Amino acid sequence: MKIPHMFMVALLAATSLGIFALAADNRKEASNSATVVSTTDQNEAMRIEGEKRFHANCGRCHAAPHKFSPRMMATIVRHMRVRATITDEDMRLILHYMTE
Amino acid sequence: MQWVVSMVGIRQTPFARRGVSLFSAALLLLCHTIAVLAQTSNEKPVPILTGSAGYFTNVTGGQTELEPIVSPLVLLPLGDHWLIESRGEFEGDFERRNGNGPFGGGVDKEVEYLQADYIAISHVTVTVGRFLTPFGIFNERLYPIWIRSLQPLPLIFPIGTGSSNGAMLRGGFPVAPKVNINYAVYFSTLSTTNALDSERTAGGRVGFFLPGPRVEVGASFQKMLQDDRSHAVGFHFAWQPNSVPLNLRSEYARSTSLGSGYWIEAAYRLSQVPHWQSVMRRVEVVGRAQQFFASEYAPYYSSEYGLPAADTQEGDFGLNYFLRDGLKATASYGRQFSSWGNANQWSVGIAYRFAFPLGRMGAQ
Repeated sequence: MKIPHMFMVALLAATSLGIFALAADNRKEASNSATVVSTTDQNEAMRIEGEKRFHANCGRCHAAPHKFSPRMMATIVRHMRVRATITDEDMRLILHYMTE
Repeated sequence: MQWVVSMVGIRQTPFARRGVSLFSAALLLLCHTIAVLAQTSNEKPVPILTGSAGYFTNVTGGQTELEPIVSPLVLLPLGDHWLIESRGEFEGDFERRNGNGPFGGGVDKEVEYLQADYIAISHVTVTVGRFLTPFGIFNERLYPIWIRSLQPLPLIFPIGTGSSNGAMLRGGFPVAPKVNINYAVYFSTLSTTNALDSERTAGGRVGFFLPGPRVEVGASFQKMLQDDRSHAVGFHFAWQPNSVPLNLRSEYARSTSLGSGYWIEAAYRLSQVPHWQSVMRRVEVVGRAQQFFASEYAPYYSSEYGLPAADTQEGDFGLNYFLRDGLKATASYGRQFSSWGNANQWSVGIAYRFAFPLGRMGAQ
């Protein structure tokens, strides 16, 4: 009688642990998924803000050029940062927008 | 995993399997690190050859002038903080000899800037070498032929502008959530070297930019530290409304020795016209009104600085057609009224902006 009882306790404990682990895993997955969504949202928000800053700063003098390679854009944006005295934050967001 | 163990001829013991697993994990980590590093290096700036080229036919007061222009710009970034940049200009000026003779003339060559920029902190960039004099907005921002809306330069353009040889501090930073400030202060030495000439001056410019309504207002100052020790002041205004594709710009400049004047320019892109959208979105109409008030010394300085020798009023109207990215056809007509005689000013041409990476890595 003792053995089935102990077995039942062990089964219950194992099931509880399994459920707890599953729940924890689900929470982790949900958290990972939220992180991915959050990163995507953040990228999209930065792109939109970068586009806005591009039109506000660069669009004052010239039309939007087509997008060059990321390494060329890094040079062009550094040049324009000096030439047009744009702020550090504007430069980073514009570079993000132009290389997305 | 077993095929790896078999392939390398390791005995299939638990220890061997664990070793291979650890090795595989390390290899994956190494690959990931290389990928991350490669991604980082892709964002590193590369040297670039860019600039503009154009060809214009100008007719001023019945005198035809052919004007080919090439203006190469080399950008050489070094590390995270440095940028070496240099722009030259080769401008042809060909006119008919003896009225109806063949076209002839020379090519003006000038180093417009050759400067080293050190981005010290987010608010401050230190520039040394030869740089464009920061006075107003036209010289530094609107001068390239592929950018300017009308090819003829404003009458007051020579006041306070050109190139300087010396050192400059400049930068831009937010002073309030919706206000950015930009500034430049400089000192220039006297140079009489051909193509690198400059005057001994000191000055600066400050601008307040409101990104929301896209409005900028600013002021410039320049003190001549040689000859008559004159000074010049300037004010600028730029507005690009959010709701319409309009670009409104204006400058005022006054020099105690050269005179004073202003220009106001509006450029409107017809992208909101509902008809023939494929054509209209490429068309820009431009208008500019300007006045110059000559000083009593103007007749002596006019030829040296390229300023009118007498009070002058001018109205210009232009059309730009953007054929593709960086390539535009341009045409303008202007009428100049002056006590030295009135004149029509026609200009037709094409302007192109080019950009190439220097080296294979730049195409990535």
